[in-house]
Amino acid sequence: MTSRTVFYNIIRFFFLVFLQVLILNHINLGGYINPYFYIYFILLLPFGIPRWLLLVLAFLLGISIDIFTNTIGLNAAACLIMAFFRPLVISAISSGPESLIGDTPTLRNQGIKWFLYYTIILVLIHHFALFYLEIFRFSEFMATFFRVLLSSAFTMALVLISEYLLYPKGK
Amino acid sequence: MRNLFLFLREHYFYFLFLLLESFSLILLFNYNEFQGSSLYAVSNSVSGSVNGMFNGISEYFSLRKTNRVLVEEMAKLHSRIPEAFYASDVNIFYKKDTIVKLEYKYISAKVISNSTNKRNNYLMINKGTLHGIENHMGVIIGNKIVGQVVSVSPHFSWIMSMLNKDSRISGKFKKNNQLVNVEWSGGNYRKGQVKEVPKHVRMVKGDTIITSGNSEIFPEGLLIGTISDFSNLQDENFNNGEIFFSTDFNSLGYVEVVVDMMRKEKDDLKASFKAH
Repeated sequence: MTSRTVFYNIIRFFFLVFLQVLILNHINLGGYINPYFYIYFILLLPFGIPRWLLLVLAFLLGISIDIFTNTIGLNAAACLIMAFFRPLVISAISSGPESLIGDTPTLRNQGIKWFLYYTIILVLIHHFALFYLEIFRFSEFMATFFRVLLSSAFTMALVLISEYLLYPKGK
Repeated sequence: MRNLFLFLREHYFYFLFLLLESFSLILLFNYNEFQGSSLYAVSNSVSGSVNGMFNGISEYFSLRKTNRVLVEEMAKLHSRIPEAFYASDVNIFYKKDTIVKLEYKYISAKVISNSTNKRNNYLMINKGTLHGIENHMGVIIGNKIVGQVVSVSPHFSWIMSMLNKDSRISGKFKKNNQLVNVEWSGGNYRKGQVKEVPKHVRMVKGDTIITSGNSEIFPEGLLIGTISDFSNLQDENFNNGEIFFSTDFNSLGYVEVVVDMMRKEKDDLKASFKAH
């Protein structure tokens, strides 16, 4: 990890937290869809990050969002579950450590197929944890399931759009 | 012992995860009790000032609408002042001051954050203990209900909106005073559920539900909504209905906090009964 990577990640952390609490939390389509784009930060952390740091950063990210939405612990718990599964997901969908190109998981480096698997699995894990922890009862299982799927699709779309905007192919 | 350390070192990732995860879950499940405590007040004032700043900007975009609402409100008030009435009767009856006593007082406040898309929705307003707001006070807009105060800091209050899993409003049918409970089960923020309607009450689409005044949070007679759909359950003792909320929770600008001046007396009365 170079100091450049560290710097970019710090900027990205604050940018995504403020984007989430000031704009995205106010987006509400059809009463169901609510994007949680801030987890893009966890998706983009470098491959070589120590695993303890991954967990600590995920916790800090979640708790920062929680402070603004007054749901202390909710986003932190969901982010931690997502961060916990990140190394497992990476090793499960790649053929080996040498097959990973570059030091960050981006669409340009890893190709569309790898990146889609990576985001779909992790975004779904995070959204499932977040929505079911928020409700914490099974009586509304199907309605919540619906919300999870729709919101995940929205978050995914935002992640893919920013991948294409920030890391264009011919760069 | 050495093996234990080795074991811990080898699997530190899992332990760290369990530690942090249980820490967040403890925070999550206890935070209802944290409300009003110092931790909560700190996070309230931090997020309150940031939200307030952002709201100061976004306020400009809704000035036109706010103006319209204010003008309407002014017209309504103008029509109530004594000068607006034509004295048709020469016999004027005065009420003695000692008979009529102010029971409810209203504090107006501005909504600085609000949501309708979560399962549990809350609002933040820009008035707090310094302005006389306390926990468990009701919040209304016009003659429609919004929610109740669940946490206060000096300058801000945190309000549980009716769109919340823990919110249960005691209401009644306007036509026959039958008591019901009004809840919200998520999804559409304009529609809620009317629970525990006794079998013998005939519901009709369009029936008005108002607050019962039983809960000591809201005065009696505020609008909750109208029945939009209902079902007759065969095996249960009660029927359920669907209610269309009168309040549009997505467009709250200014709200009023209801201060019950006789609350202490009511609470004392109840406490004195329990003590026996």
